[in-house]
Amino acid sequence: MDGVHDMGGMHGFGPIERDELSYHDEWEARVHGISNAMAAPGGGRFSLESLDPAEYLGSSYYTRWLLARINTLLAAGTITQQEFDAAVAKYRANPDSEFPSDDETAYKEAQEAVRERRKKAGDPTFPPGSGSGSSERSLEAKLGVGDQVVAKTIHPDGHTRLPRYVRGRAGEVIRIYRPQGFQDDEPLSDHSGPQPMYAVRFDGKELWGDQAEANSSVVLDMWESYLT
Amino acid sequence: MDQSVDNAVSNMPEEIAIPRVNGELVFESPWEARVFGLAVALHEQGAFEWKIFSQSLTDEIASAEKEGESSSYYERWLRALHHVTTGQDLLATREIVDRTKEVQDQADHEHDDHGHDHPHHHHE
Amino acid sequence: MANEDPAILTKALESLLVEKGLVTSGRIDEIVKSYEEDIGPMRGAQVVAKAWVDPEYKARLLVDGRSAIAEFGFTDPHGAELVVTENTDDVHNMVVCTLCSCYPWAVLGLPPAWYKSFAYRSRAVSEPRTVLKEFGLELPESTEVRVLDSNSDIRYMVLPKRPAGTDGMSEEELAGIVTRDSMIGVGEAVCP
Repeated sequence: MDGVHDMGGMHGFGPIERDELSYHDEWEARVHGISNAMAAPGGGRFSLESLDPAEYLGSSYYTRWLLARINTLLAAGTITQQEFDAAVAKYRANPDSEFPSDDETAYKEAQEAVRERRKKAGDPTFPPGSGSGSSERSLEAKLGVGDQVVAKTIHPDGHTRLPRYVRGRAGEVIRIYRPQGFQDDEPLSDHSGPQPMYAVRFDGKELWGDQAEANSSVVLDMWESYLT
Repeated sequence: MDQSVDNAVSNMPEEIAIPRVNGELVFESPWEARVFGLAVALHEQGAFEWKIFSQSLTDEIASAEKEGESSSYYERWLRALHHVTTGQDLLATREIVDRTKEVQDQADHEHDDHGHDHPHHHHE
Repeated sequence: MANEDPAILTKALESLLVEKGLVTSGRIDEIVKSYEEDIGPMRGAQVVAKAWVDPEYKARLLVDGRSAIAEFGFTDPHGAELVVTENTDDVHNMVVCTLCSCYPWAVLGLPPAWYKSFAYRSRAVSEPRTVLKEFGLELPESTEVRVLDSNSDIRYMVLPKRPAGTDGMSEEELAGIVTRDSMIGVGEAVCP
């Protein structure tokens, strides 16, 4: 989706503050852990992208993760608003309230189910061909190093990894990668599962016009579906 | 190292976070690395929960800041570790004082030793 | 005891705790070593140092980063591909993730907050030279500044140029001069 998360080339964010910390507070590390420990229904990145723009821009990094995760779990029905409000009230009243103990068996089963789903969808950690994909597509690279390509112009509602600043721009293939799982939603989801991928170099002038700095470029990973 | 130990150590809040440069831990002297390792090893052995130590460290840093002390991060870490080891009854203050004196005397003795070649007896 | 030499205090503390069997000095040694050498960007530094001294390893690293770092036992928890790009006099590489915060965790540990900031994400692609200047690095116009936007599941790491004057250094010493910033591409490795 063409949300505020897609910020390559945006203006207005000021100088880079050299904050060296990875976490500022313990709860942030906790959120990181939760995000790594369970799959987000509908996709972790998309849940972040779907935050209200003001919320996205106004929140710290881990606050965004936290809010996104809450939204996703509520939307998927994994937790109900009622349950969540009750839990918040309980710990707000007394942060040292009783905490549930782990259910190792249930967790293992949940992890296995996610694994199966990912395998079917052509996750890159599985070898090409091990999943079914929505339609079979040749894994042979159609393009070669040096080929001139143009990034498609799209305007997706759903998740994509093709940033706005590169759409419609001309570039050159500089490297061919192993086929990678394609995760975009409409309008390019003619295929999910692995497809050939290329490193494509875009000249700075092509992307930023006269504003471009001397002798600069940007390289992006382009699934075949991204290129005309 | 156990992931949970590293998590506890690496994820302390901003006010008490371990000094890093370019993502790596910085030790100005060998003793700093030593006192760091000592706290982590004790926690790993179950001597205390990390939050006990990090709370003590928070208190030490806060009071040092309040007093306007120029003590370094690891000097405060060392004080926190003192506090925790005695507070958790792992050591008695008396023992620490006595042993510190012994180590100090030893160090002075070795320092004075240049040029001497008479036999001497060391404390065990 | 407030005015005691902290080195003395530390030694006293350690000796007592070892005597009581609460810790071992050996374990303390191991912990210190792992934080100095292993956890975080030191992994990437080891990879770079080896690439600098071993041309065959470097060749393997540039072709298939994931396999090459696995030779050290380093793996990405999600099995992500790792691509290592080499800095030369002609091209200086710099890594960013404009869409979120993808980072080569397997070799660099956790990203610093600045890498995940809106300012870095937005400006690295459109004004890399200005950003590099803010980091203290100015490159001649004859060197292409190439920004790698990590928009897929591939993770990128930069192989910085080996600085002049380091010919006599051992692999271990070389790892000591490789900085995390140089492996992201916002700095260079410097001869001490």
